[in-house]
Amino acid sequence: MKRNATTILIGTVLVVIFALLLFVFQVRQSEVAILTTFEKPTAEPYDKPGAYLKWPWPIQKVYKFDQRIQNFEDKFSQTLTADNNNLIVTLYTGWRISDARLFYPKFQGSVPAAQRILEGILRSAQNAVIGKHNLSDFVNANPKELKFDAIEAEIQQAVQTDLSTNDYGITIEFLGFKKIELPESVTQTVFDRMKNERQKLISKTENEGKAEAQKIQSAADRQAAETIANADAAATRIRGEGEAAAAKVLPVFQQNPALANYLLRIDALKQSLSQRATLIFDERTPPFDLFLNFPTNTPSR
Amino acid sequence: MERNVQKNGLVNLVAAVLVFLAAFAVTSYVNSLAGQACTIFLGLGVLVTFTGWFQMRLEDNERLERLEVEELARARGETTLFASKDAEVFPAQRARLQFEKFFVPALGALLFVLEAGAAWLLWRWTGKSESVIVADRAMASLSLFGIFALLLFLLGRFSVTIARLEDHRLLRPGASFLLAGAYLCFVTALGIAGAWAELPKADFYIARALCVLLGVMAAEMLVTLLLEIYRPRIKGKVARPLYESRLVGLLAQPESLFTTAAQALDYQFGFKVSETWFFQLLQQNLPLLLLAQLAALVLSTCVVFVAAGERAVLEHFGRPVAVLEPGAHLKWPWPADQIYRHRTEQIQTFIVGAQLEAGSEEANAILWSISHGKEDNFLVANRAPDTIKTDSDTAGDLLKAPPVSLIAVSIPVQFQITNVMAWAYTNADPAGLLQDLATRVVVHYLAGVDLNDVMSHLRQEATETLRNQIQAAADTARLGAKITFVGLQDIHPPTPVAGDYEKVVGAEQTKLAAILQAQAEAIRTNALAGARAFTTTNEADALRQRLEVSALARAALFTNQIPAFEAAPSVYRQRAYFQTFAAATANSRKYILLVTNTSDVLIFNLEDKIREDLLNLNVPSSSK
Repeated sequence: MKRNATTILIGTVLVVIFALLLFVFQVRQSEVAILTTFEKPTAEPYDKPGAYLKWPWPIQKVYKFDQRIQNFEDKFSQTLTADNNNLIVTLYTGWRISDARLFYPKFQGSVPAAQRILEGILRSAQNAVIGKHNLSDFVNANPKELKFDAIEAEIQQAVQTDLSTNDYGITIEFLGFKKIELPESVTQTVFDRMKNERQKLISKTENEGKAEAQKIQSAADRQAAETIANADAAATRIRGEGEAAAAKVLPVFQQNPALANYLLRIDALKQSLSQRATLIFDERTPPFDLFLNFPTNTPSR
Repeated sequence: MERNVQKNGLVNLVAAVLVFLAAFAVTSYVNSLAGQACTIFLGLGVLVTFTGWFQMRLEDNERLERLEVEELARARGETTLFASKDAEVFPAQRARLQFEKFFVPALGALLFVLEAGAAWLLWRWTGKSESVIVADRAMASLSLFGIFALLLFLLGRFSVTIARLEDHRLLRPGASFLLAGAYLCFVTALGIAGAWAELPKADFYIARALCVLLGVMAAEMLVTLLLEIYRPRIKGKVARPLYESRLVGLLAQPESLFTTAAQALDYQFGFKVSETWFFQLLQQNLPLLLLAQLAALVLSTCVVFVAAGERAVLEHFGRPVAVLEPGAHLKWPWPADQIYRHRTEQIQTFIVGAQLEAGSEEANAILWSISHGKEDNFLVANRAPDTIKTDSDTAGDLLKAPPVSLIAVSIPVQFQITNVMAWAYTNADPAGLLQDLATRVVVHYLAGVDLNDVMSHLRQEATETLRNQIQAAADTARLGAKITFVGLQDIHPPTPVAGDYEKVVGAEQTKLAAILQAQAEAIRTNALAGARAFTTTNEADALRQRLEVSALARAALFTNQIPAFEAAPSVYRQRAYFQTFAAATANSRKYILLVTNTSDVLIFNLEDKIREDLLNLNVPSSSK
């Protein structure tokens, strides 16, 4: 008897749990639910959190969707600007299910299916809008000339118009460029240009150094020449002073000019013979006049 | 009446093969992961059932052979049965023995390899596979698997009962596989139904559970094979078939768990533990105990512990009602109340741009010119104007392409969740969105600044600007996150051009070196000029001094010479002349011509004498 009671209790508990699972469904704060009766959507979407009753499967079925903003990131795609520049861009967008009744039949409740549709619309709008703008609207050293926000707004507007026209039940909350790149071949040329720019800077710097060095050397040479010139001038002046001082004793020689002149002459003779010299004398030159009347060789006939 | 068990085995085999093939077809039809695992299990069942049936045939042949030999011996009047031990007399027995000795262990090893391989491959495949059940085919597949389950259950249950009652040990392994296969077909059907009834992950989880089952079966087979080596062989004692899985038997007949446990305990303790009051009580109240366990499990969901650094959002029937702080909290049991944890205190980080390679972080130096990760180059403006004019351009129609450069960026962004409710309920993937927003801000910012500026004096400002802009974007998207740090420590020219940037630094050094060298040379020039000037003036000074002193000396000498001159003018003059002449001409070459009364002509060669060594060179004469 006791065993039967236990079995009944267990059975009852299991039945209650099973019944709860069959007849009750929960909707979370982040969710919106569509209830279908024999696959036909009934009533308004359940967009408020709480527990709700339903008939068990397969009579009624519940389809739940995340009603938070979904983040979708597009693939990288190549596009052309108005001034014929190639860009590779990728966009991200925040979208959410604004009307679950429209969303459910369009995409069978599948978020990936919705994102596939969104991808196509997004890329089409992106190419159309980018094609109307120059590269300078995307990259510019003057931030005031950038039109990032305006371009993003244009794309978002175009996408939203498409979505609304077709009643997809989707709203775009925000949209932005995640990345802007250049094609690989262009990237290489940009690298080359950056290298040349650096080479220019290198050349400028090195030659500035050479010029500066030359200037310094030149200034030093000039200063050295000036110093030497000044020294030469001073030396000349000093020598003049010496001459002047020496000239003060000349009146002494005036006491006997003949002697003075004679001494000067023999002094000059002495100095002129101080270097290598070859002298040819005859016997009349003193002191060789001592040889006068020396017997010599008789001339031969 | 003796039952022909071999026929039962054959029927089981046929059923196993048919169900295996059908299950394989249905699985491919509906694309069910659990169905794949179930089919593998059924395939293993085919192998085991076939082996059991074949071994039954061998034993049956042996039995018939034994009867024939007995009959023959009786006809010959021999009293000793099996007198001859010649194996040739008992070919069927020999065949059975050979089968048990070689084939059965090989089959055990094969089963181990198949089970382990299937478990491993299936686990990997289910992890990677993105296949989903084809909804349109779910109902038909579900029904078919239900039929398979029913068929296998009836056959398996019948065979298991027969095997137990009549002790057919060789029928048992296949029967257990059939019965377990029936349950697995039922579970697979549930998985397919789950996918149809809003539980798309049910099929995946069942497939994973079956992978685990296959793995455990492989482990069991390995242990059985190892134990088989050391199993004591007692003559006359019939061994349990090696390929019979106790796990499959337990799965097929869960009620045998108690029997098995009781037997194990009895054997372990050496007396009948299974007959004690405690064991009996346990056996009788098992459902109640299970219920208590279930209740404990449910009650355990009423207490929640939030760890330090976390906040948990408490949802009551899906409606967020509170944010739980770290500590212990009570709540209604699952599924009425549920909590969702978020790491609010922890500083979380993501990288905008290139991710550092594993190993780069351990490197002692991170250099521009050495790649330290998969480089992610961002477009950056360049201030230098660049105007291109093509031939086709008309006047004033200039293609103005703004100069762009590329910059390698790896910017860590750190953030903290400040508003859990906003973080959890505004966006489906707030962390991913924050990363997208941060990347967009970086792209936008770099597109409007000069490359050299952002790498030099704008760096500090850029850090602050980026942080503020990312924070503003996060606030606009209602993320409930605070940006705590944005780092610009790894922002540099792309690796291919980094070397040229380094050369600029080298050029600066070259410039400085040239200037320093010139300065050194200037110092030397000026110093030498100074020295030369000093020498010149000193020489002039010396000359002046010499002139002065010499003049004075000569004056003094002259003053003293006058009296001598006046005393004997001609003698003095001659003396002075000869003294000077002798001294002055001492080293001169002198020719003195003593003139005769003849008129000879003398010729003096006054040329300088050429060096003697050159003049005396002997030139060898040419020989004719």
